[in-house]
Amino acid sequence: MRNIWTVFKKEIYRVFSDRRLILTLFIMPGLAIFLIYSLMGNIIGAQETQVSEYEALIYTENMPAEIKTLMDESMHYRLYDGDALDQATSEQKVLEGELELVLLFDEDFTQKVEAYQTNSLPDIEVFYNQAEQRSLRAYNLFNGVLNHYHETTVIERLSEPSDYQVFDLQTQNIMDERAFAAQGFAMLLPMLIVIFLFAGAMSIGPDAIAGEKERGTIATLLVTPVQRRDIALGKVLSLSVLALLSALSSFIGVVLSLPNLMQMDDTMPDVSIYGMSDYLIILVLLMVMVLFIVAIIAAVSAYAKTIKEASMLIMPFYFLAMIVGVMNSFGGDVSHDVITHLIPIYGPVNLLSGMLRFEYQTVNFMVTVLSSLGYTVLLIALLNVMFKSERMMFQK
Amino acid sequence: MLSVEDIKKTFTLSKKQMKIERTNDKKKVAVDHLSFEARRGEIYGLLGPNGAGKTTALRCISTLIKPDVGTIKVNGVDTTHHAAKVRENIAFLTSELKLDDHFTPNYLFRYFSALHNVEEQTMLERKKMLFNRFGIDQFQEVKIADLSTGMKQKISIAIALVHDPDFIIFDEPTNGLDILTAKTVIDYLLEMRDAGKGIIISTHILSVVEKLCDRVGIIIDGALKAEGTIDAVCQTHNHDTLEDVFFALMQDAKGDEHA
Ligand SMILES: Nc1ncnc2c1ncn2[C@@H]1O[C@H](COP(=O)(O)OP(=O)(O)OP(=O)(O)O)[C@@H](O)[C@H]1O
Ligand SMILES: [Mg+2]
Repeated sequence: MRNIWTVFKKEIYRVFSDRRLILTLFIMPGLAIFLIYSLMGNIIGAQETQVSEYEALIYTENMPAEIKTLMDESMHYRLYDGDALDQATSEQKVLEGELELVLLFDEDFTQKVEAYQTNSLPDIEVFYNQAEQRSLRAYNLFNGVLNHYHETTVIERLSEPSDYQVFDLQTQNIMDERAFAAQGFAMLLPMLIVIFLFAGAMSIGPDAIAGEKERGTIATLLVTPVQRRDIALGKVLSLSVLALLSALSSFIGVVLSLPNLMQMDDTMPDVSIYGMSDYLIILVLLMVMVLFIVAIIAAVSAYAKTIKEASMLIMPFYFLAMIVGVMNSFGGDVSHDVITHLIPIYGPVNLLSGMLRFEYQTVNFMVTVLSSLGYTVLLIALLNVMFKSERMMFQK
Repeated sequence: MLSVEDIKKTFTLSKKQMKIERTNDKKKVAVDHLSFEARRGEIYGLLGPNGAGKTTALRCISTLIKPDVGTIKVNGVDTTHHAAKVRENIAFLTSELKLDDHFTPNYLFRYFSALHNVEEQTMLERKKMLFNRFGIDQFQEVKIADLSTGMKQKISIAIALVHDPDFIIFDEPTNGLDILTAKTVIDYLLEMRDAGKGIIISTHILSVVEKLCDRVGIIIDGALKAEGTIDAVCQTHNHDTLEDVFFALMQDAKGDEHA
């Protein structure tokens, strides 16, 4: 025990005595996330306000008063007040984003509509630009106006207006802020956490183990009477604590930037949507993942001859973990299958995002935690074997 | 006393190593039935060309690796079965060692003392003595990164000796050192010998043997080809200098290979 503690302390001291390591391990992740996500949130937010509050600039010819009234009620717009445009010019202006919409009605539109039984149908020509958000939005709004106009006109023509009516539609957006915030957490966090746990452990693990081999200090360490197992444990535990602190920094960064990211302007997006027990579960899952990731990195580092080789050999594992994280973030639903919770990294990540969406299942939690811990124990046993192996420690 | 009795160590080579060694044999006998004894109060030198098996032999003695057959005893304790006990009485050093840049000499000394179970009071006394002896005192709290190569070497000797072992096993003690540091190291080894330590070094440099060793064993292809004091070795092999003996033995070994 005492020896584990001695090795543990040394690895911790190593990081905390190095200002650059402190910066890259504990300050950068949180700060970087905070800045990136706040910025992203602000940009998205700015775009959204711009589009929804923008007054669409519309060029029309012969717009009937009835339609204008409807438009006034349902959209922000301004009419183009320059000289009349020919068709080519107006199309060009829509294409270049100078105009959002061009609406060309037949000269005698209203008369034609009224004399529909004897006359030909009136034309409306509409030009918009689907690639321009503002134009698309103006077009959609205008479509709504036309539908309304169409409907009222048809009803007027019928002898029994009630024949036309199928239902009374009442739509309400009853979005639950809590679920909405949770959705954001569930999507982002697990991926970020996996990436930052790995990145943190990767920045110190190879140095702490492969570094000893590369420098030759492993021999000095191994001629002490300390058991190999204690050395392995001391290293894994210290790396775990450091990686966890590093992950915590990312976590804080995410929590602080979330209000900006989700543009929940006035109210803080409440991390308080989660209770104490939720946090405990998150913490347990974090720990379980940290231990597993650190054990993998430690084993790879014990296998490699140099720090560089270790960093290279870890890459495939890093990518695998990243894929799991990304899959989870963009792959839709949470799996409730017990078997999938046996898969390392995938299980905890899946559970984490489920739990962030309030879809927590005790059985799966137990399965994930126990299996992950089991894998970690196996990896530490492997590490112990590697530390004992002449081949691994003194390979040519 | 430290005795090596008929040890053999075979490595299994990887494909890459087979290419480097230019051999089709998967097995490489690095140490081949090696026996010798080293006593306290004397410096024993293993002299041999590159690849002779010096490092392998010293690692076996230091309990870092295990011989396939044969036994090694330090003060009568078997290295294979009682490694932890043996480790209390040996130090293993190599000039290739590079200390971790992040630490101070003081921290490293305390760290290895803790791992060697040295009591605080004893540790402080030894630290004072060793740091004083090597002129480390004023650099105690300076990070290794900021020290000179010579100072680093002296520090790595000091921290290898935290537990005041009976035997010091030193692989290539002066390799890559400037003359001044090399002299400090050699002087210290002589001093330790006179203080009653048993010292085993390996080297491929004849002058190191001549300056330092009370007895020498010439190792070629993992086997001992000659042993004794320098004078005795010269006499037995009918040459004037150790150099001549060494080259004659090398020649023989080559002849054997071709035969
Ligand atoms: N871990 C290992 N795996 C495979 N082969 C090894 C290993 N260690 C040493 N050897 C081989 O065993 C032989 C003896 O190597 P060793 O390092 O003991 O020689 P040495 O006398 O110390 O040489 P040098 O002067 O180059 O240090 C060499 O051929 C070497 O390639
Ligand atoms: Mg060697």
